[in-house]
Amino acid sequence: MENSETILGKIEPDITQRFVTRREAILKGAAVSSTVAAGLAMMSAPIALAALSREAFGQAAPSSVQGVINFALMLEIFEYEFYSAVLGTSSVSAQNTAFAAVRAKVPAAALPAIQQIQKHEQEHVAFLKANGAVNTLNLTAASFDFTGARGAGNGPFAQATTDLAFLLLTAQGAEDTGVRAYKGQAPNLQSNPAVLEAALRIHSVEARHASKIRRLRRATGATKVKFSGTITGGGAAAAGADNIPSPPAGAVTALGLIYAGEDNVTQGGVDVTTLPNLPGGIDVKAVATEAFDEPLTAAQVVAIVQPFFIPALS
Amino acid sequence: MLGVGGTIVLAPGLFQACDNGYVPVTAPAGSGGSGSASLDLSNDVGILNYAYALEQLEAAFYTAVVASAMFGSLSAEAQEVMADLRNHEVIHREFLKAALGNNAIGALAFNQATVAATLTSGPVILKNAEAFEDLGVSAYNGAGKYLKDAGYLTLAGKIVSVEARHAAAIRDMRDAAGVTGGTAAGTRFAGDDVVAASGAAAGLDVKLEPSAVLSRVQSTGLLSTMVSIGKPPSGTATPDAGPPSPTP
Repeated sequence: MENSETILGKIEPDITQRFVTRREAILKGAAVSSTVAAGLAMMSAPIALAALSREAFGQAAPSSVQGVINFALMLEIFEYEFYSAVLGTSSVSAQNTAFAAVRAKVPAAALPAIQQIQKHEQEHVAFLKANGAVNTLNLTAASFDFTGARGAGNGPFAQATTDLAFLLLTAQGAEDTGVRAYKGQAPNLQSNPAVLEAALRIHSVEARHASKIRRLRRATGATKVKFSGTITGGGAAAAGADNIPSPPAGAVTALGLIYAGEDNVTQGGVDVTTLPNLPGGIDVKAVATEAFDEPLTAAQVVAIVQPFFIPALS
Repeated sequence: MLGVGGTIVLAPGLFQACDNGYVPVTAPAGSGGSGSASLDLSNDVGILNYAYALEQLEAAFYTAVVASAMFGSLSAEAQEVMADLRNHEVIHREFLKAALGNNAIGALAFNQATVAATLTSGPVILKNAEAFEDLGVSAYNGAGKYLKDAGYLTLAGKIVSVEARHAAAIRDMRDAAGVTGGTAAGTRFAGDDVVAASGAAAGLDVKLEPSAVLSRVQSTGLLSTMVSIGKPPSGTATPDAGPPSPTP
């Protein structure tokens, strides 16, 4: 088809593979968006192909600016709806009910912090939408299973609905994932400096959130977590979940994904543990891992959050 | 901008023969000081040197905090936090120095009396720490868009989120100690004075252009080295949204 090479040529190589699979599915009768249907009806290959390439990822091509802000919106909606459920202000009463037991255990002194975090996530959703982000999955408060079981309600994070320590661990994981997700996408926004700057300004807010949650956890018995709010080491150990007796294996696996690579000490080709003039008497390796937060790729983020989303993310 | 307790003496620029980026300037007779550093912000090396200058400032402050007479007056929690921040900022400083290699500006010189004035009590130390961390977040957030190399942008991103964690920790400790100027109790870690609470940028953190950051740094009088912008960034500046003056 005449314009197909141009369209596909602009798209990352692995989209073409997904496109073929998706197109086969559509030919077999899978639902298509109205855009695709219109394109096909009009015999307009370019429109149909362009829309199908978006369908292949469920959203705009991920490394485009549009793709990045759509991706960010998805994560912000997730976070906002999580805190809404925790606070009992979700538009879906079942979500509020799910968290009723743990909500009663949240100390009054911690409420302003959680409310402030929720407020910011709501503002991030509004900001991204105001700046062109599209909720391509039509996510609502009902789109999430915060236990991590794609809707079954009995996933590895179920304890977050009844146990304060587990709830805070879950919130920490969500915030740290958000920081790492934005960090990973920053290079994809360089073509639009204004959007990049906005993303950086949201990213640092998520880091403030993450720090506060860690501090709450340290203050309530998570002794391996730093009062400075920084992340020591990597993998599941970096979650500092020592105050959780016998966490479910699925949660430990998830924490391993959330903190994968956080123990990296090679920055820009430099092994920072070998830098001169470091203070004496410190655990250099631990400090080196704390001093830098690490990015996650979009695919890594999707793998982490998919269990909490009922619709498929990819 | 930093709320130091003592008199702040603005340091005159002074000549000191040095390699690595010092630009000698004429000295008024009888004054003291340590030269100047001119930043070319139109390229990535200049932006990284800008970051290096700020990390030098932070590392010097926290090193002084841990060594200060008042360190012991801080709570065990605050002592842990200050030691962590010193460790992280020193690593940031040494990393940027190593990464810049022969392109690094020299070691900045400090006015020891002014530094001492930032350490006169536990609350003063925390007040200044908050200002430093919020300034660091502002600086990285405002400069990121000027970096051309994706790798450098990622490195800046890895550092700024740690600065934001620091800022939240300091702010949270001050909050617990009753400091609530500009913020509602319990929210200072990401208070409405740094995370916009209204308008088109609601939910977004502080950012400052390099010129605004360096102006604030200069006005503290902490540096006896004059750090200035020799060439501005190539790119479009955005409206500043900086942190407030520190609450007493």
